[in-house]
Amino acid sequence: MAKTLIRRMKDLPSTHLFGSGTPMCAGCGGLESLHQIYEILGPRTVFVNAAGCMTLLAIYPFTPFRGSWLYTAMASAPAGAQGIRDALDILLAQQRIGADEDLNVVVLTGDGSANGMGLSATSAAMERGLDFLYICYDNEGYGNTGQQFSAATPHGARTATSTGPHGFGGNKKDLFSIWAAHKPAYVATAIGAEPVDLARKVETAKQLKGPRLIITLAPCPPGWDFDPRDAADIGKLAVKTGIWPLKEYIDGKVVHSKIPHPRLPVEEYLKTQGRFNHLFQPQRDEALLAEIQDSVDRYWDGIAV
Amino acid sequence: MYRIRFHGRGGQGMKTASRVLGTAFFQEAFQVQDAPRYGAERRGAPIFAYVRASRTAINERGVINHPDLVAIADDSLISAPAAGVLQGIGPRTVMLINSHESPETWQHRLNLDNTILIVPAEDAVTDRADLPFAGMVCAGAAARLVGVIGREALATAIREELHTHGSGLVDRNIETALHTYDLMQDHANAVTEGTEISAKSYASPQWIELPLENAGSAAPSIHAAATSTLLKTGLWRTMRPVIDYDHCSHCWWVCSTFCPDSAIRVNEEGVPEIDYDHCKGCLICVAKCPPHAIEAIPENAAKAREEKAHATKTPDR
Repeated sequence: MAKTLIRRMKDLPSTHLFGSGTPMCAGCGGLESLHQIYEILGPRTVFVNAAGCMTLLAIYPFTPFRGSWLYTAMASAPAGAQGIRDALDILLAQQRIGADEDLNVVVLTGDGSANGMGLSATSAAMERGLDFLYICYDNEGYGNTGQQFSAATPHGARTATSTGPHGFGGNKKDLFSIWAAHKPAYVATAIGAEPVDLARKVETAKQLKGPRLIITLAPCPPGWDFDPRDAADIGKLAVKTGIWPLKEYIDGKVVHSKIPHPRLPVEEYLKTQGRFNHLFQPQRDEALLAEIQDSVDRYWDGIAV
Repeated sequence: MYRIRFHGRGGQGMKTASRVLGTAFFQEAFQVQDAPRYGAERRGAPIFAYVRASRTAINERGVINHPDLVAIADDSLISAPAAGVLQGIGPRTVMLINSHESPETWQHRLNLDNTILIVPAEDAVTDRADLPFAGMVCAGAAARLVGVIGREALATAIREELHTHGSGLVDRNIETALHTYDLMQDHANAVTEGTEISAKSYASPQWIELPLENAGSAAPSIHAAATSTLLKTGLWRTMRPVIDYDHCSHCWWVCSTFCPDSAIRVNEEGVPEIDYDHCKGCLICVAKCPPHAIEAIPENAAKAREEKAHATKTPDR
């Protein structure tokens, strides 16, 4: 198993490789995780970005990255990554670049692409054993176009297209398990509000070969309807209430990297966000609150601690 | 035809303001276009939305270049060229500004003789950047200024546009908009309809003709890293985080790691410094700072403090 060097906050990188001045929203939870990830991955990284909020990161001639960036359609980022990996491999084989000039190929997409349109291309890339890292910033909806529901929207959340009294009627797709079922080299969930956990996972992924995939929950001030200053606190609550389990799939096993204890009631997390207001006002929707708490409880009941 | 442009920052409700005004015009039997400027709509970033309303068919399309009324929810945008607030302002354009300062100050500052009106606010509002329901205040004021929209049409429009947000919020929005509508009584009809602009009279911009170049030279490869730092996103900020170094415990990794925008860096002594050219004012650092050594102060108060400090500095220091 890979060794990680980062054990506590003090070990985190002290310099920012990632440029400021991006057009992401103030308080963007996705950007909070991406800049931390980039500082671990380092500048020898090429990003393949499917359409989404982060498409806006690198609008010519501006980019926050120190290397290249490729923009693809929503369904095809892993295919773009295959092309880049192949090109690098050919250049390496022909000795036109040295091993020190090789690049990490990283796919960057939102939850819309990861859970929906891009899932088939991701599945195929894992099947081919593509050596790449996939980072999904999951803000649980199509945030760039005004937060319509996606396959990652949680049960009961209000979105631009789930405006009824009970919010979104569907359930968040279990992307971690879908990815892990392909038996890739590595799958993890993480969040920018837990920087040490995130850094260790990126370090681990960086040292492995083959398909490696990380989902970071991305608290989204406009999409989830909360004050930007609360983004990191809401991220912490997602972990403490157990609604966002931090875990890894590695060497064929699922391991939880942080088990909330004691586990706070899930409504402590829900009540921080306007998208769940209808669960509390004008009167408490006890049935729906119990349903959400029950699904979290059932998840953790199934985890052998 | 009325041509009205709403300027604000993402999150202030200016898109909703334009929808409400458009729907209110529609209630009064006008033909209407209302649209936000699409693109990177971001909370805190400059955005605009516009409304056209006419008794007859509207043949104009696209962004309004000759507004009859410009409503500005955040006066710090006026000095930002990227926000385009002053674009196409003519002598009869009325400006409605949410500002601490007087119309005369703005007339002087902008060197304009136009009618400039200040958005009314309660005395309790000490920081204009935090004016509650800024969008609805602007919509209510604009509805009164055009003089052809009744109270009932305005209330109906708000109900129609916001009904999914619950009756409590709808009522508060209606109350805010109608209160502003009534306060603007003295300025009713201040905004008059602009004339039709015919396609025949269209004067094309003074384009500079460029020969077609090959893509290699027309869109050169950028080899510089992190060029995004040339974009000063500090302009988005309405509240400024300020570190009190007497209380800072120099645990730089908290604020600098949680800052989504890489806008807090650590100097060689291990002291965090906020990059105000890029800080968007999300205030996550204020929320996360363990010794609570970061304070949020309104941007205009911070600027005033800076100017004062600058003025008292002796020149030879």
